[in-house]
Amino acid sequence: MKKTKYITSGGLAFSEKEDMDKLQRYSNEGWHVKGFKLMGYTLEKGHRSDYIYSIDYRSLAEGDEDEYMDVFASAGWTHIASSADIHLFRAQAGTEPIYTDRDTTVEKYRNSAVSVGKAAVPLVLLTVLAWIGAVMSTGMFNVLTIAAVILTACAVPTAWTALTAYQNKWKAEGKKKTANLAMALPFLILLLGIAAFVWNSDSTGGAIRMLTAMLIGAIAFPAVVWAVMTLSQSIRVKQH
Amino acid sequence: MSKNEQLTDSMFYIMAALTRPRHGYGVMSQIEETSNGAVVIGPASMYTIIKKLLKNEWIYLYDDSDSRRKTYLLTEKGREVLDGDLQVRKLMIKLAEAGLKEAEE
Repeated sequence: MKKTKYITSGGLAFSEKEDMDKLQRYSNEGWHVKGFKLMGYTLEKGHRSDYIYSIDYRSLAEGDEDEYMDVFASAGWTHIASSADIHLFRAQAGTEPIYTDRDTTVEKYRNSAVSVGKAAVPLVLLTVLAWIGAVMSTGMFNVLTIAAVILTACAVPTAWTALTAYQNKWKAEGKKKTANLAMALPFLILLLGIAAFVWNSDSTGGAIRMLTAMLIGAIAFPAVVWAVMTLSQSIRVKQH
Repeated sequence: MSKNEQLTDSMFYIMAALTRPRHGYGVMSQIEETSNGAVVIGPASMYTIIKKLLKNEWIYLYDDSDSRRKTYLLTEKGREVLDGDLQVRKLMIKLAEAGLKEAEE
C-alpha cells in the first residue's frame, strides 16, 4: 500500500514559486508530488531526494505531446502530471531551468493569462447580463437574481485569477507600473461596489434582500467546493 | 516579431544549429557542445522558439517519422533572416573591438 497525502496549492497564478518551493521541501522529506488534485497536489511517500519543480503553461496540439515531453526529458526534466494546459516537471537540483531567457518567459505567462482569460471573459459577460436581466425584471427576488448571485460568486475569483495571470505577464515583461495598477483594480472595484450598494440602499428596499442573496452566494460557493473536495478525498482514502 | 527587430540570442543560436536537420534535443546538445557549456537553452524556451520559427516560416518540418524526435531545417527565408542578423552582430563586434582598442592606445 502506497502512502499518499494531499497538500493545498496557493493557486498557481498567485503563488507559483511558493508552490514549487513547497514541493521541493516535501521532496526533501521524502514526499513526492504525483499529480494535481482539486486546488492542490497529491504526494506519495518515497525516498528523500533533492528535486526541483517547474510549471509550464502550454496548449499542446494533437500529436505534439511526444515531442514536447522528449525535449524536457532530454534536458533532465521528468514529466509528472498535466492538468489542461498546465504541465508539471521535476528534475534533480542543479538542473538548468526550463526557461532560460526573458522573451520566452514572457510567452509562458502570456500562455497562462490567455488560457485563464478564455474562462474569465465569457463568465464575466454572462454575469453582467444576468445582473442586467435581474435589475430589469420586475420581481425582486427571482430566478435571475439567484443566477446572477451564483454567477458572481464564480466570476469574481475567476476574474481575479485572470487579472493576476496578466499581472504575472506584465511583471515578466518588466512593465511594473501596469502590473501594480492591475493589482489595485480589484480593490477599486470592491470600493465602487460598496459605494454603489450604500447609495442604492437609500432608494430601494430590495437592498437587504440583495445582500442576503449575496451572502448566500458567497457562503454557498466555497461550501460546495469544500464538500466536493472532502468527498473526493474520502473516496481516495477508501480506494487505498 | 517584425522584420527589423533583432533576433533574440536564443533564437540566433537555435537557427544557427538548424542550418542542418536536427531535432529539439539535437539542437540543445549542439549549442551546449559548441559553446563548451557556456550557453544552455532550457527545454521550455527551446520548444517555444521552435514553434515560433515554424510560424514565421523560418524553419520547416524536415522529418516527422519519429513523433518524439521531429527534425527541422532552416527555410530559404530563415537563412536570409539569420544572415541579416549575423551582419548586424558582426558590426556590433567590430564597433566594440574598435572602441576597446582605441581606449587602450
